[in-house]
Amino acid sequence: MKRLLLGTAMAMGLAGMASAEGYKIGISNTVQGNGWREEMVCAMKAEALASGKVESLNIAHRNTDAAGQLEDIRNLIQAGVQAIVVNPANADGINAAIKEATDKGIVVVAVDQAVTEPSAYILSNNQTEYAYLGAKWLFTQMGGKGAVVYMRGAAGAGADNDRDVGFKKAMAEFPDITVAQEVFTGWQQDQGKQQINDIIAAGVPFQGIWTSGIDNVIVDALVESGAPLVPVVGADNAGFVGQLSSVEGLQGAAVTNPGSVGGAGVALAIQILDGKMPAEKTVLVNPELWDNVSEEGKAKLAAAANPNLSPEWPVSVSIPGWTTYTMDQIIACKGPGE
Amino acid sequence: MKRWIEANSWTLGLAVLLALLLLATKLIQPGFGASGLDSLARAALPFALATVGMAIVVIAGGIDLSIAAMMAVASVTGAVLMQGATDLQSVVIVLCVLLLGLAMGAINGLLIVVSKVPDIVVTLAMLFVWQGVALLILNAPGGGAAPWLRSIAAGGLPLPGLDWLPRGIVFLAVVTAAIWLPIRRSKLGLRLYAIGSDALAAFRSGVPVGQTRIAAYALCGLFAALGGLSVTMGTGIGEPIPGPYLLASVAAVVLGGVVLGGGRGGLLGPILAVLILRTVRMDLTLLSVDPNVAAIIEGSIMVAVVMFGAVLATRGRRT
Repeated sequence: MKRLLLGTAMAMGLAGMASAEGYKIGISNTVQGNGWREEMVCAMKAEALASGKVESLNIAHRNTDAAGQLEDIRNLIQAGVQAIVVNPANADGINAAIKEATDKGIVVVAVDQAVTEPSAYILSNNQTEYAYLGAKWLFTQMGGKGAVVYMRGAAGAGADNDRDVGFKKAMAEFPDITVAQEVFTGWQQDQGKQQINDIIAAGVPFQGIWTSGIDNVIVDALVESGAPLVPVVGADNAGFVGQLSSVEGLQGAAVTNPGSVGGAGVALAIQILDGKMPAEKTVLVNPELWDNVSEEGKAKLAAAANPNLSPEWPVSVSIPGWTTYTMDQIIACKGPGE
Repeated sequence: MKRWIEANSWTLGLAVLLALLLLATKLIQPGFGASGLDSLARAALPFALATVGMAIVVIAGGIDLSIAAMMAVASVTGAVLMQGATDLQSVVIVLCVLLLGLAMGAINGLLIVVSKVPDIVVTLAMLFVWQGVALLILNAPGGGAAPWLRSIAAGGLPLPGLDWLPRGIVFLAVVTAAIWLPIRRSKLGLRLYAIGSDALAAFRSGVPVGQTRIAAYALCGLFAALGGLSVTMGTGIGEPIPGPYLLASVAAVVLGGVVLGGGRGGLLGPILAVLILRTVRMDLTLLSVDPNVAAIIEGSIMVAVVMFGAVLATRGRRT
């Protein structure tokens, strides 16, 4: 068995050396089996393929902690990649390995969430704006007064902290809006549903619900319990976008939070390897809001709906100006050489 | 000499397997060298310390499912206290965290001995308790680590001719030997093996079974605290959500030749097993194997090696 292992390893190693030239890019992600993250990885693969400049992708994609991500990044350094695109487990925990990579001249791009290591490039969704845009629409829809259920993400997550800043900014602009209940869903569907059921059962009065992306189960709970359908803000997950046009009497808005930011990260890494430096080390992708009240929003929702997408995927599968792949390429989820 | 080889055949086999894997790594990636060994050692450190802790309770006939959660408690406690602490303070903090590990392990053991509920049930319950404690101390990744602590296991030995030898490996060897060797050679060491191989026979021979069991769990807690500190060493922060150390440590213990029923095996085998599993992971990344397939390969290798060993063992008994 050992000899077989060795033989296979040698054969694969030689095959790797013999292939054509092009960039070798590494990817590190620490959440597996989540619709948003899977879309992100598929966007990375599709962008690498569509660019035509990437020879191979080394993908370290598993469920692990920051210590495991340190291991993955160091293995990618050993693999001799020229760039690493990483969705960091947290903002500080993987700085040591990022520094080791950039010291060796490897381009590191953190996508989705920021890292505090200054040598890394950051390409992230603008989470502050995400919350502000949705909350402002919601408060306007509520007539500028009333109580809102504030359903946050995971306690302590970077994206959740940023969104809280945006939400508070909108609160400050609407002095007559109060928070009826504030809960952390942990970005878990079952937990969020339990929480909204408890709030409905407790009889807490509320006139609107803001969610951090755990959205379709909230609408389900309102419909199932027969509670009044108050305006709901969610993310652009396929399930919620579908509800916005199918659930009668529901007023709501989806704020885009594209998982395709991973594809944009690969595009940025390729640009830097080509010698085109971005003006800023941090690039923020701004969200859009699609509501089912205005004609413009309805048109956007209709255009975004795509029955071929997995229901857990965000419907915003591309980022204009960054990603270059086609819809078929991201759904196929194939990278170079696959 | 022949007898020694026979007695340690499993461990020697693992050492050969590890050497072959490292050779394969060198063939896959000709640039693999000191820095590669260093990253391997740093990745293996938390896993190895967890595995040593787990191996001790398994040898004593138990199992500790709360090991990863205890690591998280140690990691966040250390990180929270060390933020902004001076070097001297941080030394005291590290010692306190180690004591905390001992205490957590002793609580696990005490509950098992007093309640007479099976180990697997008690430690499963304690898994949730320690997880909650970790979140109570720190609800999101944060805190800090003293610079001296972060540099303990980073880079090679500062000795000419030995600079390829990762400090992580030396640290692991020194810590494990300093704690385990004196115990192994003492009465406690004999008792740990005795209660693992047959608790009733041990009791009739006058071994204080309860006390020994508590000691085994306390030692496991101590190594869990070391493991938790090693996570903080690597990341520079504390993480309240336990990492993937529970299943990995059980796997390495089995692969390392410790019998799950207890009473047989040593610590070197499991440590070699950890290094083998980390090298396999590294090779899979180097070969850019599909990540969904990589997990299957890792598992298959483990099953294959253990089955191969079982076949060898039965053959050996027959002849």
